[in-house]
Amino acid sequence: MPLPESCPTATNPSGTRGPIVSVRGLAIGYGSQPILEDLWFDVERGEILVILGESGCGKSTLMKGMTGLQRPLSGDVLIDGESIVMADPATKARLQRGLGITYQSGALFGSLSVLENVRFPLDEFTRIGLRQRNLIARMLLHLVELGHAETMMPAELSGGMIKRAGIARAMALGADILMLDEPSAGLDPITAANLDRTILDLRRRLGFTFVVVTHELQSIFTIADRAIMLDAESRGIIAMGSPADLRDRSQDPRVRQFFNHRPDTPPA
Amino acid sequence: MLDEQLTAFTIAPVWERALALLQAHPKREILIDASRLKRIDDTGIAFLYELRQETRAPGTGVIIRNLSPELSALVPDYPASELGTRPESPPSRPAIEQLGYVTRRKMRQIGNWLDFIADCARTLGPLSRRGNPIRWRETLDIAAEAGANAVPIVLLIGFLMGVIIAFEIALVAREFGAVIFVIDGVGIAMLRELGPLMTAILFAGRSGAAFAAQIGTQKVNEELDAIRTFGLDPIHFLVLPRLLAAALVVPLLTVFADVVGLFGGALVLIRFDIGLYQFYYRLLSVVELEDLFVGLLKAATFGLAIAAIGCRRGLTTGAGATAVGLSATGAVVTSIVCIVVLDGLFTILFDA
Repeated sequence: MPLPESCPTATNPSGTRGPIVSVRGLAIGYGSQPILEDLWFDVERGEILVILGESGCGKSTLMKGMTGLQRPLSGDVLIDGESIVMADPATKARLQRGLGITYQSGALFGSLSVLENVRFPLDEFTRIGLRQRNLIARMLLHLVELGHAETMMPAELSGGMIKRAGIARAMALGADILMLDEPSAGLDPITAANLDRTILDLRRRLGFTFVVVTHELQSIFTIADRAIMLDAESRGIIAMGSPADLRDRSQDPRVRQFFNHRPDTPPA
Repeated sequence: MLDEQLTAFTIAPVWERALALLQAHPKREILIDASRLKRIDDTGIAFLYELRQETRAPGTGVIIRNLSPELSALVPDYPASELGTRPESPPSRPAIEQLGYVTRRKMRQIGNWLDFIADCARTLGPLSRRGNPIRWRETLDIAAEAGANAVPIVLLIGFLMGVIIAFEIALVAREFGAVIFVIDGVGIAMLRELGPLMTAILFAGRSGAAFAAQIGTQKVNEELDAIRTFGLDPIHFLVLPRLLAAALVVPLLTVFADVVGLFGGALVLIRFDIGLYQFYYRLLSVVELEDLFVGLLKAATFGLAIAAIGCRRGLTTGAGATAVGLSATGAVVTSIVCIVVLDGLFTILFDA
């Protein structure tokens, strides 16, 4: 479901196209041991790119590399043409503020209410008045259908609400790109479907670019314009394309296994 | 005229200016030209939304001109009343009803505490019962962590307490030629009061808080539920080893504090012409074994109280990381208050 060529968005009203994120020969790992190497791909403006693969293949590590949270062993990541790897601390912080990131656990601050969590980036980085910041935070919560939960504490929220509050917080500073790490993990199918709908709705209404790490097949087919599949053994990308193409046309047995939900060896 | 961009980092002065303009001209129509506006984010959307929602008298409204249809479509049109929820204020009660409510809550807390103590006693009672033995390995591990690792800090504080007490008393006693009686003061104060008290306060800060945080985190992570569903009793599994370890190590740490405290006092008194031998023999003549035992009994009681408070705070932890922090803080504060109250009771029982 690619966007039309001239789709105007909040973040890119002129509708110009071109990669908003470019991953160039990235190798990333722990210590000197690469988990992934020689990764090359672009994320187009306004698209929803899904990174998928089996557990432990490095999806979340790649996300950390793309957001500048983990320094790669080699290669580069360009955000809107600027390197987040080589950037000085001030530039890196500026580039990171342009990325809205949500984490597997939601990472809401436990001592702040939902409204205060969403308002937090505005409190820290802008000089907007308190009443206006509250209005912005309330509108974001309304957008993710959490208007009724603004006074609740994170400990009182369900898994789906935590993820949605995390998305609202990630949007607060006007991020161009939202990066979601396993947003539907641990959620029931209905809540996960609602979250997928929220993601699609945000893209349609505000034109966000999404990079979503997930291995939930239902989510992948619902939201993804394009998917890249990582593999632990080959430490790289083994497939790239639309989810339907990967499922129907890929000759790689690992891709077929993943999309057909089959283990290595069928039970006797 | 609005600029080309309205984003989180550029909007603050624009918003302030717009509000000032609205306030300054309540009886005029306000025209805002958005022809140059090309880029907005969520803050820009909120700004335009607020301007559109502004309610003013007829003919004095806010008109946003030349806003591109694409950007206009981003600004929602739901009423402001749809945004957020207002916290419901708790119903106000008459004073007498409030008093009853608070009393009932406090009585319930006391009842819960008594239940907890009864559970601990019930678990501790059949020590020799087969199939449900004391978990000595955990007890010794906790004792090592809470006891052996605390020795350096206890030695340091105990030594300094002895030095300070001896020095302060000796300065006054010298005026009356009664420096020899400083040994009586240091000996009795260290063995009966300062040794157990300082050790217990250190133990509360170091291990009482740790007990609350450990068990609290286990509660938050649903480990307590897992323990229960295995058919295990959290009191027996988690609390009892900590109670026993505390009752064991606090008296031992107190002995260390007593010895180094007395040694510190003896060193100070050299400066006041009292030698180490003189200190030793005077100490033996004025301090009785009862002083040591009362101090150790206090220490064991303090240890039990600190462990019980830490564990109970852990078991009643709410949800989230903040609740764990509150439990740890609460454990330390309650423990210190409890230590002082118990010390007062001991003084009435043994010294009066």
